[in-house]
Amino acid sequence: MKRRSIVALSLVLVLAAAVTAATMASTKKATASSITVWLQVDAQSGWPDLVAAANKQFQSDHPGVTVNVQYQTWGTHLQKFDTTLAGGGGPDVIEMGNTEMTKYMAAGAFTALNKSSFDNSSNWLKGLAASGAFGGKTYGVPYYAGSRVVTYRSDLYKAAGIRKLPATTAEYVSDAQKLLAKNKAKGFSPVYIAGTDWYVAMGFVFDYGGGIAQQISGKWKSLLSSPKSIAGLTAYKNFYLATSRASKTTDETHPNPYDVYAQGQAASIVGPSWFSCCVGKQYTAATAQFVMPGHIKGQAMPGFLGGSDLAVPVTSSNAALASDWIKDFTSTSGEKGLQAKGNIPNATNLLGASVNERAASRSWFVPTAKHWVDVENGNILRNMLAQILTGKLSIKQAAASAGDNIASVLNQS
Amino acid sequence: MQESSSNAAAGTLLGTSRRRRRLWGRTVQGAVPYGLILPVLVVIGAILGYPLYWLVKLSTEKYGLFELIRHQGVGIGLHNYGSVLHDGVFWHTLLRTVVFTAVNVTLTMVLGMLLALLLVRVTTFVRVLLTSGLVLVWSMPVVVAVQVWYWMTNYENGVVNYLLSHLGIGDFYQHDWYATTFSQLSVVTLLIVWGALPFVVITLYAGLAQVPPDLVEAAEVDGARGWRIFLDITLPILRPILLILTSLSIIWDFGVFTQPYLLIGQAKITSGNYLMSIYLFEEGYFKSDFGRGAAISILMLLMVAVLSVAYVRRMVRMGDAL
Amino acid sequence: MSRRRKGARARQTGWNLVGLAVFLVMVFPVFWMISTAFKSNEQVVSLNPTWFPLHPTLSHFRDAMNKPFFWVDVRNSLIVVTVTVAISIVLAFLAAVALARYGFAGRKLFVVLVIGIQMLPQAGLIIPLYVVLARYHQTNALTGLIVTYMTFVLPFSVWTLRGFLLGIPKELEEAAMVDGSTRLGVFIKILLPLMGPGLVATSVYAFITTWNEYIFARVLLNDQSKQTVTVWLSYFLGSNRHTDWGALMAASTLTAIPVVVFFVLVQRRIAFGLTSGAVRG
Repeated sequence: MKRRSIVALSLVLVLAAAVTAATMASTKKATASSITVWLQVDAQSGWPDLVAAANKQFQSDHPGVTVNVQYQTWGTHLQKFDTTLAGGGGPDVIEMGNTEMTKYMAAGAFTALNKSSFDNSSNWLKGLAASGAFGGKTYGVPYYAGSRVVTYRSDLYKAAGIRKLPATTAEYVSDAQKLLAKNKAKGFSPVYIAGTDWYVAMGFVFDYGGGIAQQISGKWKSLLSSPKSIAGLTAYKNFYLATSRASKTTDETHPNPYDVYAQGQAASIVGPSWFSCCVGKQYTAATAQFVMPGHIKGQAMPGFLGGSDLAVPVTSSNAALASDWIKDFTSTSGEKGLQAKGNIPNATNLLGASVNERAASRSWFVPTAKHWVDVENGNILRNMLAQILTGKLSIKQAAASAGDNIASVLNQS
Repeated sequence: MQESSSNAAAGTLLGTSRRRRRLWGRTVQGAVPYGLILPVLVVIGAILGYPLYWLVKLSTEKYGLFELIRHQGVGIGLHNYGSVLHDGVFWHTLLRTVVFTAVNVTLTMVLGMLLALLLVRVTTFVRVLLTSGLVLVWSMPVVVAVQVWYWMTNYENGVVNYLLSHLGIGDFYQHDWYATTFSQLSVVTLLIVWGALPFVVITLYAGLAQVPPDLVEAAEVDGARGWRIFLDITLPILRPILLILTSLSIIWDFGVFTQPYLLIGQAKITSGNYLMSIYLFEEGYFKSDFGRGAAISILMLLMVAVLSVAYVRRMVRMGDAL
Repeated sequence: MSRRRKGARARQTGWNLVGLAVFLVMVFPVFWMISTAFKSNEQVVSLNPTWFPLHPTLSHFRDAMNKPFFWVDVRNSLIVVTVTVAISIVLAFLAAVALARYGFAGRKLFVVLVIGIQMLPQAGLIIPLYVVLARYHQTNALTGLIVTYMTFVLPFSVWTLRGFLLGIPKELEEAAMVDGSTRLGVFIKILLPLMGPGLVATSVYAFITTWNEYIFARVLLNDQSKQTVTVWLSYFLGSNRHTDWGALMAASTLTAIPVVVFFVLVQRRIAFGLTSGAVRG
């Protein structure tokens, strides 16, 4: 009967789907004949030639093993990583942000590596090496880093009569007054810094010898309320109010500082050195960079040492091959290549004299705690800065409240 | 119209025993609905069966990154549920989300109905224009739509501020629409309603097409005017579709994630402006506390069920008039 | 008589004007996206908004289309979406007919299941779904993604189609069967045409949802040659560095085109005018 044919038809459809599913399966399993590498898109757009060179070197050392590089995006790569930890099919090498490492190392997500098998490992930048070490073992190989520099409009500086670059923050503030006198447009910032840009603000705290948190006999204690940290926060507040017309409650991606610069509304911006890529065609010729000064002459403002590490997930069955690929990618020539693209290489003996690298002479990093990412995601420091700048809370109050918050988050089990 | 009156009778014409035919017919007839729903059940069961079991199981376990890597959780009974239900943030978020959902659903349905009626009344050219516009809106990927809306409303150089200032509505120079929670969620509401209208309008318009024009004409001849016709004729016919759209809107708006998360921005998300789905994401998955995330997921499911039960029950009962 | 006609004409124009105003307001963000795709980089960031780029540039479109894997990913998206929608609508229609026209034990349970699944927050399903698919070797495969999307599309489609079916009076079918046509004949000659608008609305929704779906595509597909176009789009935003907004807007405009095309192809089934919907005997 006709009814039955409908039922039969639908059953056939389902069966067909199932059969096709079973036969069309094509997973590239990481067998001994190939390894999978997860790098971020920055490598795909920034230095694909270095990736190719590493692959070539690897393949000449291991003939018959192909390298499958899959590019990830920063927003979702951890989510993907988590699913592969649960269900398999993950990479043999993964690029992790250096602030992301501790959480995963503490959970046992990576295979321990032999530090001495990597080029220049005895000279690894301290800040970078710390992010890849846990419990005395090495789990992450520093890949590259970036510090914070000032990108500025030399034409505006000339027009304002500023002859030499500032050597202290006090000089920088007086330069800012000169710039304000010559540029009266509404909303113009001599130094555009977003209110809750904690990467810049915490630099001031470290410049005065303060800190964020410290682990004492197993327990984390906040350093934000120490006199030195308070002095640093006070210095930041004064600097910000004198030089920046950005929103006090917004962060450094809403809007991007380089977009403000490209609109002609900023004479200088503080951020990663690659900001110079996007300052607008009309200002590119007049743009240059200098190292942000600290409050003491001759000392740079400590810059946040952002960067990436390369690690081998514990789910990988090709740990030895993975380690070899990392060695090839972070070899001396590889790091020199990264340096040529404007990054900071991973070892002190490779450091050059670019503005970016000189700025790294004084750097700071976040507490290497398992739950640090929760502090970042909870925007605790950002909220503190917003409260301080808007005057909602006094600096002491805001620091105390944020400090308590941070301590309780970091001390979770 | 006055010919044979039943399938069984019709079957007799085929010349086999009437009784056998009727029995066979009834068995097959009884099996038909099961056959019809079988494919759907198979697909859903094969794919979602394990995840549903996993979610329930995990909600009773301590399951973080450490446990995930070892594929082994630690059973802790209802502790996850307890910790969530004792969390003040959870209850504040729930209240905020309920209000948010109510506002969104009301705006969507009311505006949707109005626009569908408008579509009926305009001339063909405007109708095609409007429908194409709605489809264009519908076809924008959410991530891109959020980005465009952010640009339009950003305090630095947003078009909205520019227009409002130039139209003389007030001084909106560098007005930050994301400064307060109320303002943030209002912009998110506008974005969500804007994105939801195309589907609602087009579906309601399709529903209006099922209204028999002869009924409408008959009522007009009887002297009924627009509003009465709408209430007495159109609305009853649209009832099933309205119930569906409302229940779906409640479900979607309660659990909406991408728009608020991306528009407000990770840097401004705090426990003071959480919506349920963001609370789930931040407290569960961002922190890699999968056990807690599973518990929150199940609680969310129960809550949505409670919120939409009135509509769902009416929908289910509707089919009872068989 | 002529005064009444003038009044009707004025009312008609009034409605048309309202319609145009609504159109302009609704479409403005889409217009902004498309016009930005043609703007130069300076115009994109400038403080004064550029309404119509007077010197439009095609460079962003070129950059977008030259970005690796664009055409491959578009093809993948088309495959995934058309297969998902085609199979889902058929299966959902069958199930909807069962729910709307038959009484059977377990009917209420099935309805509860269908609506219950939609109430599940998807975030919780990502990991276990990946584990299930990995077991069947369906990760990094388009078929795995298709089946996943089907589980999201089916409940909604069953629910919506059932609603449309309930709106069609049973008397029509019964009258037709009295006339001697079989059950299947009733389907084809009576139900299907009346369901036209409902089927179109549901399939367009299914098309758009699966076309724009991102998170499961991202998690399940690894090789860039297998990914869908939404994942391809995310690469514009994924870097920590500068985002090329012009190219992103151009890319987004391109990805919106198939949806519009699909709708244009099926829109004739939606009654553009009340009369065509009333397929009455």
